[in-house]
Amino acid sequence: MSTPESDPTPEEHESETDFDPAGVFEDPTEMDLRPGADSCYKCSTCDTSCPVAEVDDDFPGPKFQGPEQWRLKQGDDQDIDPSITDCSNCMRCDNACPSSVPLSQMHNTARGEYVEGQAPSLWNAEDSLAEGEYREALTYLRDVPSEVSIEFLRNRVLSNYGTLAGLGSKVPRLANLVMGNRITSWANDRFFGIPSERDFPEFADRTFREWWRERGGPKVEREDKRVAYFHGDYSNYNTPEVAKAMVRVYEHFGYEIRVPTQRCSGTPMFANGMLRDARRAAAVNITNLSEFVDRGYDVIASCTSCSMALRQEYPELFDFEGTREVSIHTYEALEYLRIHEDLEEELGESKADFPDLAYHAPCHARNQGLDRQAIELFGELDSVAVEDVGDSCSGISGTYGWKSEKYEKSMEIGGEMFEHMKDAQGETGLTECPTCAMQMGHGTGYDIRHPLEVLEAALVD
Amino acid sequence: MSVHTSSGTESDTEVVVIGGGSTGCGIARDLAMRGVEVTLVEKGNLTHGTTGRMHGLLHSGARYAVSDQESARECITETRVLEDIASHCVEETGGLFVQLEEDDDAYYEEKLQGCRDCDIPAEELTAEQAREVEPYLTNEAQRAIRVPDGAIDPFRLCVANAADTERHGGRIETHAPVTDLLVEDGEVVGVEIQHESGPGKRVHGKEGETEEIRAEYVVNATGAWAGRIGEMAGLDIEVRPSKGVMVVMNVRQVDTVINRCKPKGDADIVVPHETTCILGTTDEEVSDPEEYPEEQWEVDLMIDELSKLVPLLEDARTIRSYWGVRPLYEPPDTGTTDPTDISRQFFLLDHADRDGVAGMTSIVGGKLTTYRLMAEEISNHVCEQLGVEGECTTAEEPLPGSEDFSVLRDYMEEFGLRSPIGKRSVQRLGSKAEEVLKTGERNPVVCTCEAVTSAELRDAISHAGTDLNATRIRTRASMGNCQGGFCCHRMAAELSPAYDERVVRDSLDELYQERFKGQRHALWGEQLSQAMLNHALHATTMNRDRDPARKEEPGIEYGAFDAGPSPGVSGDGSTRATADGGVRSDGGTPDSGAGRSGKSAKKREGEHGDQ
Repeated sequence: MSTPESDPTPEEHESETDFDPAGVFEDPTEMDLRPGADSCYKCSTCDTSCPVAEVDDDFPGPKFQGPEQWRLKQGDDQDIDPSITDCSNCMRCDNACPSSVPLSQMHNTARGEYVEGQAPSLWNAEDSLAEGEYREALTYLRDVPSEVSIEFLRNRVLSNYGTLAGLGSKVPRLANLVMGNRITSWANDRFFGIPSERDFPEFADRTFREWWRERGGPKVEREDKRVAYFHGDYSNYNTPEVAKAMVRVYEHFGYEIRVPTQRCSGTPMFANGMLRDARRAAAVNITNLSEFVDRGYDVIASCTSCSMALRQEYPELFDFEGTREVSIHTYEALEYLRIHEDLEEELGESKADFPDLAYHAPCHARNQGLDRQAIELFGELDSVAVEDVGDSCSGISGTYGWKSEKYEKSMEIGGEMFEHMKDAQGETGLTECPTCAMQMGHGTGYDIRHPLEVLEAALVD
Repeated sequence: MSVHTSSGTESDTEVVVIGGGSTGCGIARDLAMRGVEVTLVEKGNLTHGTTGRMHGLLHSGARYAVSDQESARECITETRVLEDIASHCVEETGGLFVQLEEDDDAYYEEKLQGCRDCDIPAEELTAEQAREVEPYLTNEAQRAIRVPDGAIDPFRLCVANAADTERHGGRIETHAPVTDLLVEDGEVVGVEIQHESGPGKRVHGKEGETEEIRAEYVVNATGAWAGRIGEMAGLDIEVRPSKGVMVVMNVRQVDTVINRCKPKGDADIVVPHETTCILGTTDEEVSDPEEYPEEQWEVDLMIDELSKLVPLLEDARTIRSYWGVRPLYEPPDTGTTDPTDISRQFFLLDHADRDGVAGMTSIVGGKLTTYRLMAEEISNHVCEQLGVEGECTTAEEPLPGSEDFSVLRDYMEEFGLRSPIGKRSVQRLGSKAEEVLKTGERNPVVCTCEAVTSAELRDAISHAGTDLNATRIRTRASMGNCQGGFCCHRMAAELSPAYDERVVRDSLDELYQERFKGQRHALWGEQLSQAMLNHALHATTMNRDRDPARKEEPGIEYGAFDAGPSPGVSGDGSTRATADGGVRSDGGTPDSGAGRSGKSAKKREGEHGDQ
């Protein structure tokens, strides 16, 4: 999909799975994926590649969660096994399967069904509110407290990180002070199930979008090289330096950049089974991005999970108009430049004032065939040593490692990566994924940077 | 009560029922419940003949509502009875009769009216409503009639009838073909059978023996094989066996029985059956109920035709195909040429009236949905002959497994099983679930495709002996998408240590071959890959292609493996094989490695004991 010679065509995209349930079912939680089990030969390769199964003997593994559980479904029974919430949604199984079983689609949909069943009154109340039927909403709301658990609430908050961050960023210093406080941290762990070992990511003083507005938008305008930037929540609220690097590097190569109105890509929502939230966010993203795609823009993401969501999960779970077009025209930032620009040549001639790096390829980058891109590319850069720390999962998988009951497993999965980072020469980490970066920093104490920042240092004055 | 003689065993009983299909098992249960001493003999497993090769439809009667309203009425009545007394064998799926554009409007109206005439609840659905019920139904559907069709598992049904027969003092002998009818003074007085491995549960390798069972009355319930039994007493029973093909899909594309709404024809029904869908069928007269051609075009026809109803079927995975023979019968001189025109009614042939040979009645024709009614009528007839007074109670007394039970449970809390596994187990076991699953022992899943645990298998084995096919039909283990590739050896392992190694191997081979047999007609696409993977795994890990242990004496001494190496051999650690990760070739142990890798190696060693 990412070779420089061949752009993906719609035909190639469609052949990824043999059947297309999205064309039949309107609601993602009603999708019947049983036919997807036809591709499974029970070989168990997915189970052997699952980082959760490796550390958790009670986790039945992706084969059970996916094709086996789906095949056993009858009619509209709701007996999704609770262990579906132990899947971290790293999506390694998708890549491991030799037979194209739609594993993560099965997991996402099953998890959605499970979570739907956890809080039926809440969902009904929200539906009624959306339709303006307040009296009805109120009757549903009465049953909400008996259905909804603290764990459910925590998962909903975690998966709607962007909303939380939006509030925090209004008063970044205060928010950082409160969230960094030991008492907050203790209370979060004790009452909310968020591990006190983790440090909340700090909010930037100024968000990327604020910076972009103040800067007056794009500095380059041209018809033949234009991209729409999907920055995602994290580089907007927490690491605007990554988003700014994107802008500077792309403008260096003469691209016109637009920054469409956007919401969270949905990755944390998929992982927590909050498919309704994901659907609402995706509707906004697809509407706005497809307008740009129609006008000849390609969509660029600097976070590999965001590009994964737009490319794979949206067409697997939603059927809004334009979903497929957006999927086909979405690229990861480095990938896109490698396709269209001669980066190797430029890097070979340049010098970067940058520390040596220990690079970790995020699982979601791996699924897009991007796990070697940083290593291959920065090999050209003599002034910086970049070492690959291996193909293990970092263990955080977005919100997975942000749950007290999963924290230890998360750190056990990450153990191999921490060890290899320490063995690597560089004492600064490098990765495309913001939550992998949190985990890398948490396990080693290193500073973690983004490949776009290295490019910026090497190419932009 | 049996007596050993030089030529075998002799015993006597009141009634012998020949044939362990639904009819035979139903008659045996009915008679036993009326206090009659009954022995049922079957040449293979229960359901071996036609019953185990039907498409699993529990007829609402709608299918016959135009052509044969008497059958239709019987069907709806009996379906209601079975939903009640055999609830753990029945799934109330509902059914649709779907009209496509080329199908006749007049026939649709006749069907609707016919259902109403026969008191079969029938609801008209628009094409849109029908697609709401079944999203994968074709866009070409014009409209549909919703009727209370259902799905039934013929295996569990027969097994439950047989179990209840035994509970009421009856005797069930499988793998015991009738070799002769005992005729004295122009009267049938019993049967001679050949036990393939001695009486009782089947055990591979056990020596066979013959037995003469003398009886006051004999019921020939062998369906398509009735003529063969009749011949043994010089009787001429003109059964006209008619074959039909069934194609098993890997998953349930639909959860409702989908019928094509047109006059009878080939390939017009899709039945959701357990985890699969079964496509059917054809209707073609054959001369021999055992030897007839199974042809690929018949399979292709099912998929081609039924894809018109459910387009997804066209590229869907099939896991196997099978053929069954209907035991059609028509009285002499009716002269019907097309088997589809032969009545589905059943016929009770009292050979005293018909042929002047007393002591035996044959039952032919009929269909599974009305098996209980047929059994009731035969039992009435038999009781009349014997002078036994007893009321039939089979319409009210639930079968074992179908006493009150609910599938809505906390499976993890109650049985320690993951939800879908617990649910499927309880659906199969019904009211026996607690007794079977709550063993207090470790209970791993053995067949992951069908979610069958070790406890359920052990329970089945306690009834089926070493016959793993008999265990299979009780549990569905090895009937999923890998067709036993990943579980048949694990099933066989459940036979050990109660049975010795050679017996277990023979059982395994028999199951593995049976599983392959049905896949021969599904070997393309995904199932071909599956079969090849199964073969490669079994050939490389179990030497199934050429196993030195299969050779006659002395074979391989498994005891030596199980007991571990003898003290003299292990000696110097550095020369031992290291495949299990125990010792590296450099002489160091994996535990000497630092951190994580050492830990995981240790963990693996610890797990060995469980495997």
